Amino acid sequence: MRGAFLAYMDEHFRAFSFVDRITSLPTRSVIQGEYVVPADVQAFPASLVAEAVGQLAAWAAMAVTEFKRRPVAGLAERIELLAPVTPGQILELGATLDSVDDETVAYHGTAHADGTPVIRLQNCLGPMLALEEFDSPDMLRNRFALLCGPGAAPGAFQGLPRIEFERTPSDTGQRARASLRVPNSAAFFADHFPRHPVFPGSLLMDANLRLVASLAAEIPTPADSGAWRLGEVLDVKLRTFIPPGATLELDANLSERSNARALVSIVTRNGGKLVGSARAVLSTTKCE
Amino acid sequence: MNITRDDIMTIFPKVAETMASALACDKERVTLEASLIDDLGAESIDFLDIVFRLERAFKVKIPRGKILEEARGDLSESEFEKGGEVTEAGADRLKSFLSEVSPERFKAPLKVADIPRLFTVETFCKVVIRQQRAAVPAMSVQTS
Repeated sequence: MRGAFLAYMDEHFRAFSFVDRITSLPTRSVIQGEYVVPADVQAFPASLVAEAVGQLAAWAAMAVTEFKRRPVAGLAERIELLAPVTPGQILELGATLDSVDDETVAYHGTAHADGTPVIRLQNCLGPMLALEEFDSPDMLRNRFALLCGPGAAPGAFQGLPRIEFERTPSDTGQRARASLRVPNSAAFFADHFPRHPVFPGSLLMDANLRLVASLAAEIPTPADSGAWRLGEVLDVKLRTFIPPGATLELDANLSERSNARALVSIVTRNGGKLVGSARAVLSTTKCE
Repeated sequence: MNITRDDIMTIFPKVAETMASALACDKERVTLEASLIDDLGAESIDFLDIVFRLERAFKVKIPRGKILEEARGDLSESEFEKGGEVTEAGADRLKSFLSEVSPERFKAPLKVADIPRLFTVETFCKVVIRQQRAAVPAMSVQTS
């Protein structure tokens, strides 16, 4: 029992926390922070950068409600994927709460790495739920004070287990389907969330974007163009919590295509029930 | 505040388009009478999404819980519901406010948590029209 408690203590604010320091909180609705991507992790995908911006916004929203409510993933109208992030880089995070109350938070935000914008989130909306159902309000208050003060020691994040999906037969170049088994246990569950472990929406997004990438590799490109590149994700919606051990069906379907642009509709189901959806925008660049 | 059929039909195409996008369904399924939950499969996150999109599409502000608040009118919370169930007076008020909903869909007893099951596409058209009118400055109303 004590061992399990210590393991929980070890992973809380480590295994899935992506804000090291809150550098500025000039008003209740504007917040800036930073996160050092550990140099020894294998990769830091765009979905985790989006998660970092969302977590920064969540700190501001929790503070507004005096740590009585916390946001969970809900909607993002547009996520622009502007540049990749490499391990070792420092992310400068910024978020603005457009509105926040006990029911909902609306926000937008950005992340920069070495002065270059790497991601932009527009029109995001998260349901605000009772914080104590997810985490210890006191521990979050203390963490917030630490982040607003000297900051947390960077480097706590040790990377994520590779969550592989298995492609199932589908229409090559038109549709990609896959089965994804959410692990029963993983370090990130102790941080997301300690009292209510759920599969993070950003990890679902990461799996879906990898599936889109594999579909994109099968879509023919115009003769004078380079490969398809994922530029933005639209209308991201997470409808329900995904518990540990769930088996998800991922489905990416090419819905529109022109010479320079393709639109892929993404849906995720758990036991046939729709749990998430999004649209991914692919574009090509002209070959010089 | 009288809302005519013409008022509703003026905004319905845009509302239908907005809802079809939010619910990822064919626009043809979004009829005025369609129940968002029972016919279109909406869940609580979809209501947030729909309100958010309608706010942007029509440039109005729709406070969360606006429909329930307006439905209750001048009834106090205890007059409207007791122990999570809508009172008789509350049900009468709801039937009058949600006049677009066919009477047989009002079950008795009606749980407060089940009120959103009654909401149709037309319910949201009316919310948008009310908010549009509320946003018009008093001077404009007097001179129009």
